[in-house]
Amino acid sequence: MKQQSKSRVQQINEIKKLIREPFLFISILVIFYLLIVFVLFPIFQVFKTSFMIDGQLSLKNYRDVLRQSYYIRPLFNSILLGLIVATIGTFVGFVFAYAITRTPMRGKGIFRLIATFPMVSPPFVVALACILLFGRSGIFAGAIGNIYGLTGLTVVETIAYAPTAFLALIGVLQAIDPSLEEAAMDCGASRGKVFSTIIFPLALPGIVSAWLLVFIQSLADFGTPMILSGNYQVLSVQAYLQITGMFDLARGSTLAILLLVPTVIAFYLQKYLLSKKSYVTVTGKPTSATIKNLEWYIKYPIYAMCFLFALIVLLFYGMVVWGSFQKLWGVDSTLTLRNYVQMWKIGKKYIKDSLLLSLIVTPITGILGMFIAYLISRKQFIGRNLMEFSSMLTFAVPGTVVGIGYILAFNNPSFLMPVTLTGTSIIIITLLIFRNLPVGIRNGVAAIEQIDPSIEEASIDLGADSGTTFRKITLPMITPAFFSGLANCFVRSMTAISAIIFVVSGRWNFITVAVLGFVDNSQYAQAAAMSLLLIAIVVLALGLIQLITNRLGKGMQSFSIIE
Amino acid sequence: MKRAYLELKQLTKAFGKGADMVVAVDAIDLEVQEGDLVTLLGPSGCGKTTTLRMIAGFHTPTSGDVMIDGVSVNEIPPNKRPTAMVFQNYALFPHMTVFENIAYGLRIRRESDEQVKEKVARIMNLIGLEGLADRQPRQLSGGQQQRVSLARAMVMEPKVLLFDEPLSNLDAKLRVSTRLEIRKLQQRLGITSVYVTHDQEEAMTLSDRVVIMDRGKIQQVGSPVEIYSHPVNRFVAGFMGKANFLEATVKALEETEIVLEYCTKTIQAPRWDKRIKEGDEVTVVVRPESVFLEESQEDLIEGTVVNSVYFGSQMLYEIEMPDGKVLQAEIADPQDHPQFAKGHTVGLSFKSRSLHVLAKE
Repeated sequence: MKQQSKSRVQQINEIKKLIREPFLFISILVIFYLLIVFVLFPIFQVFKTSFMIDGQLSLKNYRDVLRQSYYIRPLFNSILLGLIVATIGTFVGFVFAYAITRTPMRGKGIFRLIATFPMVSPPFVVALACILLFGRSGIFAGAIGNIYGLTGLTVVETIAYAPTAFLALIGVLQAIDPSLEEAAMDCGASRGKVFSTIIFPLALPGIVSAWLLVFIQSLADFGTPMILSGNYQVLSVQAYLQITGMFDLARGSTLAILLLVPTVIAFYLQKYLLSKKSYVTVTGKPTSATIKNLEWYIKYPIYAMCFLFALIVLLFYGMVVWGSFQKLWGVDSTLTLRNYVQMWKIGKKYIKDSLLLSLIVTPITGILGMFIAYLISRKQFIGRNLMEFSSMLTFAVPGTVVGIGYILAFNNPSFLMPVTLTGTSIIIITLLIFRNLPVGIRNGVAAIEQIDPSIEEASIDLGADSGTTFRKITLPMITPAFFSGLANCFVRSMTAISAIIFVVSGRWNFITVAVLGFVDNSQYAQAAAMSLLLIAIVVLALGLIQLITNRLGKGMQSFSIIE
Repeated sequence: MKRAYLELKQLTKAFGKGADMVVAVDAIDLEVQEGDLVTLLGPSGCGKTTTLRMIAGFHTPTSGDVMIDGVSVNEIPPNKRPTAMVFQNYALFPHMTVFENIAYGLRIRRESDEQVKEKVARIMNLIGLEGLADRQPRQLSGGQQQRVSLARAMVMEPKVLLFDEPLSNLDAKLRVSTRLEIRKLQQRLGITSVYVTHDQEEAMTLSDRVVIMDRGKIQQVGSPVEIYSHPVNRFVAGFMGKANFLEATVKALEETEIVLEYCTKTIQAPRWDKRIKEGDEVTVVVRPESVFLEESQEDLIEGTVVNSVYFGSQMLYEIEMPDGKVLQAEIADPQDHPQFAKGHTVGLSFKSRSLHVLAKE
């Protein structure tokens, strides 16, 4: 634990120690500079813009919130959508997690794969599938009413974000020792009682935390509402339209702040819940035994729900595949490869740019993330907490806010960044690095903290110096986490949209933006083809990194690649 | 005469299917008398825990029966069975206080608040948990958690109380005192109990009868004394206490004695197994404490001290025998005996009464 109040002497000693290690000292300074410029400064700019009218400090923008529907309605809509999606998504995620951890369901691996698949594809692919299925010229046109609005958004975001809840809850349910259930049954509790008195209360903090995660994702989602919101205005899209359509930076910034506030609140609430961690099993070895002979009336509804959800996921993605080969969606269903050819002709540059930029971003993020993780968890220096806070900040901030922040911050030279970055590749690269950094850091911190310092001490005790120890002991132990961080960063870079859309330009563009463009022009088949290509690239990269990690480590702890 | 209260009949449990099938418990028969504490003792993987879990109802037997009080309980789910289990990791509900943990089963049974309070208070007194009612499990020491787990099971007044290695998470000292308490409590309340452990000392001190299991089968059932002094095979002899095994030949059979030749010397042992014939090759079980050591003499078996360890209350010698095997000898009160240094040649003799002869397996 870090002491809260340090004496002055200690502080001075810390500074002295730092100066004696010039490399460390300089790197800390550089990292702080980068974090200030690329994390804090843009967000500050959004705040500033929302509070300024004609160069004067003013609350007018916020006073308007209370009066004018173009503020209050998107805010209300976004939150309502978030509540609905979070609730349904958490429910679906819980059923899935329960099925995987607590029932003898067959084909768990496949169900798991299907349930987590939406995480590696950008959410707007699900939206696209929704149009292909239920849109005006869809196969089941009108089956769920008008999809452009709350209904469509709910369906699509639930499919896209239930996996988040699923992954969070699987960890929660796994942590509940099955022998607690056995003990309860042994005391005479029925299956239902075991659930209501043991499992549910123990999982509740985790359930709330999963709910908040989905809520955050729904609020921050940009791609889905961009395609499907119709007249149902949400904050992320409205902020974007105000800025790119109306060139109203103040109004856009204000909407962005309105989006930021509930997200950040939810984020810290969620972190707080997780940090409490009150009910992890008290003692003893965990037993792997579970009561698997569930009654049929519990088992089968759960199976049915899992099966249904898996089927829906398959249907949606299958529709994208099917759609990509159709000559003209809904009109001419001749199979053709023309869409791919066209997509390639138009999209070649987008694909090349995305790949190139993501490949540049990924290793930098990985190394920087590991380095910051190392500093945070193993070094003491002034500003350590500030470094942790600011490097993790972009995790909580919706992409729309970051995107607006970047154009506000880097459109003109400033004393922090003396050159204009807008329109360059640098702005995209830095945005991706600092948006993905938190994942790398979190992975790294987890990996480093799992290394018992006594392991390193043992190495030093056996005669290795600290350099050798790092190379031979620490590094191999954090390597799997490093690679999983890389995989994560690559996927997130390739599928990024909400922030990226503000900083792309004619010179440097992005594949996700191209897909949105196709959808916007109702070129659904080309959009489908390009989405599939994107998914293929991502899956390929994941497979490659998985292969490398497998090669590297037998007996090493494997890190899940998908967050 | 006590009667068989818990019976296992041809009880079998197999996991997996086809070629991967593992028979964890292989057609075992067992009777537990009312009020007895029976220990299932064996190495890990011997099927003892699986047997216990079948009694509790957490595993469904592949075949065979679990009978309690003359009735088969195979079809009764665990929550309806008159059994209560003390778990290895205690399995205390972390979100409930000590009181709520103990009261849990009574409340499920919908007993009145007053009754619950009274019963919980009584059992807490009995087990020595006074004043801890409002604590959370994580605020308790390991020993206290163990007691809560015991109280939670006992308060249900089960027909059969089950223990799944309940002491394995306690430190050595606490283990000794707790097992004495468990035994006293169990005898006082007269609850029929099945206790699983891999610790032979625990089994010896706790049990009315011990069931030695290995590879899914019962090897021997008997009182601790019976099993220690007359193990039926090498496995049991080696598992229950320390044992040396000497290979010998039967020279003559008498009414109660058996005369053996070991390394050209003669030793005598009690005759138990009537199937052993003259000329048979046999194994003699020699407990380390039945070995006497003195300066080597003409008619004694000679051995060389290869190691000696002083324990205060006893001295442990390792002695290389003429046939090359190393024998362990424990000499109590080492102060009263001559001490032999490494390399010293000593003469060995055995306490005839405590030798045990096993037919070759």
